[in-house]
Amino acid sequence: MNDAQSKIYDILKARGIDAENADGIKEEDIPEASERFSKLMEIYYSMKVTADMEIPYWYNRLWWENDGDILEVRRARAVGGAYAHSTPTVLPYEKLVMSKTKNFRGAFPFPWVCASFFNSLAESLMNEVDAPAESEADAVSVVGAGGGNVTESYGDIISIAKKFGMRKEEIPVLVKVSKYWEGISVEDISDKYAQMLPDYDQFKRNMDAVVVMFDSFAIPQGREVINYYMPLQYGFDRIIQLCDEKINETMGEAGEDGILGMSRGYYYAAMKEITAGLSKWCDNYGKRAEDLATREPDEEVRANYLEIAQVMHNVAHKRPSTFREALQMTLCCHLGVVNEDPQSGQSIGRLGQVLQPFYEKDMEDGITTDEEVIELLELYRIKITCIECFASAGVSGGVLSGNTFNNLSLGGQNYDGLSAVTPLEYLIVEAAMRAKTPQPTLSVLYDEKTPEDFLMKAAACTKLGMGFPAWMNNQTGMNFMLRQYGAEGMDLYDARAWCLGGCLESAPGCFMPLDYNGKVTMIPGGASPTCGTGIHFTGLPKILELVLTNGLDKRTGKQVFPPHNEKIDTYEQMVDLWKKYLDISNRIVNRINNMQMDIWRKYNMPAVNSLLKPDCFAKGQHIGNCGSRYNACINFESCGTITFINSLASIKKNVFDDRAFTLEEMTEALVNNFGFKTAYETNVFSPDFRESTESASKYDRIFAACIHAPKYGNADSYVDSLLKDYHMFMLHYLPTLRSYYGKPEYLCQISVSTHGPQGFVTLATPDGRLAGTTYSDGSVSAAAGTDKNGIYAIFESATVYDHSQNQNAQMNLKLHPSAVKGLSGTRKLLDVIRAYMRKGGFHVQFNVVGSDTLKEAQKEPDKYRDLMVRVAGFTQYWCEIGKPIQDEVIYRTEYDQA
Amino acid sequence: MKHVKCVNFLNLDCEKGMCALSKAIVPIDGEGSDACQSYQPAPECGNCRHFYDGDKYGMGMCKGYEKENWAYATCGAFSCEKYESRRYQEA
Repeated sequence: MNDAQSKIYDILKARGIDAENADGIKEEDIPEASERFSKLMEIYYSMKVTADMEIPYWYNRLWWENDGDILEVRRARAVGGAYAHSTPTVLPYEKLVMSKTKNFRGAFPFPWVCASFFNSLAESLMNEVDAPAESEADAVSVVGAGGGNVTESYGDIISIAKKFGMRKEEIPVLVKVSKYWEGISVEDISDKYAQMLPDYDQFKRNMDAVVVMFDSFAIPQGREVINYYMPLQYGFDRIIQLCDEKINETMGEAGEDGILGMSRGYYYAAMKEITAGLSKWCDNYGKRAEDLATREPDEEVRANYLEIAQVMHNVAHKRPSTFREALQMTLCCHLGVVNEDPQSGQSIGRLGQVLQPFYEKDMEDGITTDEEVIELLELYRIKITCIECFASAGVSGGVLSGNTFNNLSLGGQNYDGLSAVTPLEYLIVEAAMRAKTPQPTLSVLYDEKTPEDFLMKAAACTKLGMGFPAWMNNQTGMNFMLRQYGAEGMDLYDARAWCLGGCLESAPGCFMPLDYNGKVTMIPGGASPTCGTGIHFTGLPKILELVLTNGLDKRTGKQVFPPHNEKIDTYEQMVDLWKKYLDISNRIVNRINNMQMDIWRKYNMPAVNSLLKPDCFAKGQHIGNCGSRYNACINFESCGTITFINSLASIKKNVFDDRAFTLEEMTEALVNNFGFKTAYETNVFSPDFRESTESASKYDRIFAACIHAPKYGNADSYVDSLLKDYHMFMLHYLPTLRSYYGKPEYLCQISVSTHGPQGFVTLATPDGRLAGTTYSDGSVSAAAGTDKNGIYAIFESATVYDHSQNQNAQMNLKLHPSAVKGLSGTRKLLDVIRAYMRKGGFHVQFNVVGSDTLKEAQKEPDKYRDLMVRVAGFTQYWCEIGKPIQDEVIYRTEYDQA
Repeated sequence: MKHVKCVNFLNLDCEKGMCALSKAIVPIDGEGSDACQSYQPAPECGNCRHFYDGDKYGMGMCKGYEKENWAYATCGAFSCEKYESRRYQEA
């Protein structure tokens, strides 16, 4: 040990870290997860993702039985009534209970949002039901591929959206419920009015060409942070009393608001309905636990059932009085929200700060221990991992990769501007290290005030290869909040309450006064609707391709944009045409997405979320009526930023500066994939895989020039300056687009998994990327294999613009485990993170895994059922993500030195 | 009688569940899906006296509530306040 190391160890020891024992820390040194967790995970690994019809049946029945009632009341009655009728499943190893559906890893369709998918399949689905049964041997031996995904029908199981298994006997119910919504679902009504727009055909052409990835109604909630304050402060019975008081106060009174003032009374009537539904839902779990206790032979298991029953009956009526009850209450509310719409990215927020008062009191009273709390947090991880989103195959697979992005944030600043880290947050990280599940993913809001030992613990967790915690810059996030929400009154206090909604969508929050344990604690939570649902995933390189092809999609032979018919003589002219096409796309897509979300908020307004989200209850308005405190939250989402920037650099350098060849010659090379076979032909999506055709030699010179053109990520100002130009343009351009809330839009840079499908539809690009392969991931990650100058060079390139201009920036890095081995490796990792944060980088996350391991896992997925990787802002089981994204992750540059 | 129709069946997914008594994973279909001697019928719409006119798909009618409506036989009814076991009624 040298002097420097010795000094570091002394400092760490003074802060409570035993470096001598921690040096050389290995994964196996981390304590095992609890027995309950292990038993439930054993079940989880054998689970099929399942859709059933209980909740849709009851929603549909109650909706139509209340035909003619005030819409928000009708909606709340249908949602709450459906929850109150669902079958509660309680397993003997559980302590925390409640699930989306009766199944362990369940979900269900929402035909009132989107019915066309099911109605178009009605006949074929019924044919499958009527088909003769397979032999018993077939029925039990054929299983869906890819972890829990049911990608094919088998036996009495029908595959829907290539992911969900539904039992045959439920298919007629799906078909019947869907029929009610034919022509009147959110999708259908918004499409009816969208067709009145003269540019509707342009919209369809955009979507068909996958210039833009998907519609807003597909997942109308999420990419936001939930708020648990109301039920923690009051409990359900008291909330119902408060609703009665508010009804008495506001029903029939408009106040000063002649447009929405009268709606307040109806809002409170609706909130009373939804609260009663949530309460009954909890009570039913309590009753089922009691029922199971009566027939349970084992005394210990019976006692566990009775404990569950007591917790659930308390949560059903009273405000929580223990940590366990508080955690159970947050889970109930979380499931209540994620069940009211197709949804991803309903983030948990800063749970360790919200629940700290409950943890603190239990510890003071001596009624729990840290180990018991960790066990509950481990079990909580399973519950969140089981949250599935029922959406189309494109959304489930192409966008989400099967993940639902329930992000849990840690750190940041508290109400008083000090470090917000709580003792409970250490246990949350500890539970994540012991109990390895993809959700909830963890995000550290890095702040210079964050305690060093907490950062080291979080870095040690990052090293475990699960891809989390990801690291976000707290100050940059706060600055973005003040920039975007200042016009709505955001002050420094509320700016401190921000955190991640979805995988990487910075979402506004606020602090609320929780009166508990004889004191008031300001707890953070979300304060806006979805921070997404604007223009979803525009493929920036695809638009550039269409500029070069005069608006014609050479892959499909269809004209996407009007021909510009210009001979492009300068780089600036080409960029102007790109901006023109982008604007054509944005104007029509934005208007139609606005209509989709407007129809959604009129007929399908959030019920549970409108109870929880400040200031809905104070204003008496649901989320659709701008009940939330902040509403300037709708965005434009980009994809393929660095592929686009590298392509611009290649054209600028080769065509306009060096005049090595003409733009027409380059375009011809792109159309012919530089003489190589496409990824569609080879089914290999790695940028490093090239199989020549007979015409390969014809494009050798151009291809070489494209490959050797300046590349982002090497601290090369030639290309980095183009990134800066792009950001300055977007900063001023995007606010000219207005959301359905009448607020300016802004740039969101998460690719999620869309760089796979959007790359798939894009020809070869001028940076040397071949047709059909994925785009670069994230927004400031280097294109795979092109960053040659080390991590710090990427940081230099990434921070050529102010990251607080946008909702986010995304940097994915891959480290070989040997690069961060032992405590010194943890320190190096933290140094890398800190260096990036201090340069103003917003986000960085790591895959700490070797490419060899991933290649092996691709060959033999069954041997790697529990292997997880970081894709974009989320972690997913390797075996449950598609091959294009697998290839892309394998090929990311692997650093063997931090 | 099948495990899936038993009150001790705990739902897991579309192909299996857990027996609350034995804690064993039990299949819904095929070999091993037959219930044991401890079988007791689960509360589901098809077992309710308010359910009638079920067709070959198990789709029938529910007259348990003020407004009569269609229902389906395999729908869970543990949480239904109007559920009345047909067997109990017959007894």
